Amino acid sequence: MEALTAPLYAFLWRLLHLLLHVHTALLSWLRPRLPSPTSRLWERAVAALTVPGAATGFPGHQKTLGLLGGDPTEARRSRWLADGQALEKLPVHIGLLVAEEEHSYTDLANLVVWCMAVGISYVSVYDNQGFFRKNNSRLLEEIVRQQQELLGVDGSRYGVDFLSSSINSYQNKVVSCRPTLKVLCPADGKQSIVQAAQQLCRSVENKQSSSKDISVSSLDVLLRESKNIPDPELVLKLGPVNSTLGFLPWHIRLSEFISLPSHRNLAYEELLAALQRYSCCQQRLGQ
Amino acid sequence: MSWIKEGELNLLERISANVLKAGPMPKHVAFIMDGNRRFARKKNMERQEGHMQGFNKLAETLRWCKHLNIPEVTVYAFSIENFKRTKDEVDGLMELARQKFERLLEERDNLEKHGVCIRVLGDLNMLPLDLQQLIAKAVITTRDHNKCFLNVCFAYTSRYEITNAVREMAWGVEQSLIKASDVSEALLGECLYSNNSPNPDLLIRTSGEVRLSDFLLWQTSHSCLVFQSVLWPEYSFWNLCEAILQYQLNHKSIQKARDLHREHQALQQLEADRACVAEHLQYHGNGKPADAQRRQEALQRYTACREERVRDFLQALKHKRDSFFNDLCSEAVSA
Repeated sequence: MEALTAPLYAFLWRLLHLLLHVHTALLSWLRPRLPSPTSRLWERAVAALTVPGAATGFPGHQKTLGLLGGDPTEARRSRWLADGQALEKLPVHIGLLVAEEEHSYTDLANLVVWCMAVGISYVSVYDNQGFFRKNNSRLLEEIVRQQQELLGVDGSRYGVDFLSSSINSYQNKVVSCRPTLKVLCPADGKQSIVQAAQQLCRSVENKQSSSKDISVSSLDVLLRESKNIPDPELVLKLGPVNSTLGFLPWHIRLSEFISLPSHRNLAYEELLAALQRYSCCQQRLGQ
Repeated sequence: MSWIKEGELNLLERISANVLKAGPMPKHVAFIMDGNRRFARKKNMERQEGHMQGFNKLAETLRWCKHLNIPEVTVYAFSIENFKRTKDEVDGLMELARQKFERLLEERDNLEKHGVCIRVLGDLNMLPLDLQQLIAKAVITTRDHNKCFLNVCFAYTSRYEITNAVREMAWGVEQSLIKASDVSEALLGECLYSNNSPNPDLLIRTSGEVRLSDFLLWQTSHSCLVFQSVLWPEYSFWNLCEAILQYQLNHKSIQKARDLHREHQALQQLEADRACVAEHLQYHGNGKPADAQRRQEALQRYTACREERVRDFLQALKHKRDSFFNDLCSEAVSA
């Protein structure tokens, strides 16, 4: 009996997975072709629905929009800023977790620029192969280019502090009004916890402290010092793989995970929809 | 309600289970069983009744897992953060735990028959003493069973667990069992409460929340995460199948990421050993530059010594943890 049914089940399993793959492929093929809800009207309706009174809440912005209608980059900039302000809450720190094999500098740079334009202060980019870390100058170049293209030449307002985790940047605290980008790789995850642990153990080895002094907050302080950044409140997972793939295990304790199918050909509206979803999330913090 | 639910799957469930089992199956599934209180509110029942139904669902889920050949399950029963809830609710949850662990001891024969090993992960010191003793008894009674494993995270958060692992390593340094330079990713993993389990392949959170809430942060860095909107007491066999299907679709890419990570980790360890040897040779080499062969030999010697130190330390740690449970248990007997 077993000998007869086993191949049948294996066949059914293959069939099932084939169907699922066809389904996913079809969806990803359709995604850029579907009429995207780009109209401002639709967006405003959504904003008004999610945040009652948002449409009337920022009359000033509408005025500027009207005044600056002639300058497309300026109009776009105020529009994006208004979109960010219309949300009930916005993450201070967003993590962009690339969970797919193919990478696109342009699309990722776009996403980073949008995040900064809606008013997010810290953006970190991660992929588990360290691809963007290895090529971070290329990514930076692309971001600067996109900034100029999308937001106009006024690059100073959206300057990017490019941090490498091995370097502690203290200046960063001073220029706090500028959004900060961080490109992370797996070594910033568990390995940085191990380094902090080593540091604590070394101080025990040198009889400077005792094992009893080690607490969650002493470890947290060590891990924060090297990052200078609050924990990401939102992690946007870009790609089909449903895993954190080693992204900052210590720091994602309370992060909300929202998935988007890919960072390639990502539309601004998809980011906005994800941010809207985030703004509706409530945390009970154990209570 | 008991810990073990007997019974076969119905025909349709059995066929589906067999189809799923033709593909790669998770060996270890972790659950954040969220939604008991919302379920109670929805059904207009007492909060405590919601928690009760949640526990019953756990017994049912364990039965499904058994039929799906999933030998290990980890559940988030009570977070350290949950102590912030009202005294009423915390007391109610402690009482529920008391009842369930007493029940577990009554069912010891059945647990033995099914080979169920129950472990409790967390800082027991935060619990009332009688509950600590009860848990210790339950853990000791089932610890030699080896067919399926249920890990109950109780008075647990992942950050606390990681910190505790660091504290244990620092203890090892204090006891001169290991050196600070022996601290590595692998060693930290061995010092976690979960050191007896492989990392979960699949993490499921119910009730539509999309965060980890300080659960198994270290262990799930290469697990498949599935967030489902169903409330935990309403969780069904089909929800579980859907999650496993997700795992199977992700299996290849996650496996690849794991392999990459493992390679990276081995490299990291080799580099750390090299650095220690280089430092050692510098101090004791009388200024002579070491040739490649001597360096290689020194490296091998050093690695062997480190591995032995780590082994002895882990033995001592295991002994320390075992005697914590044994002491609790014998206290209870003499009391």
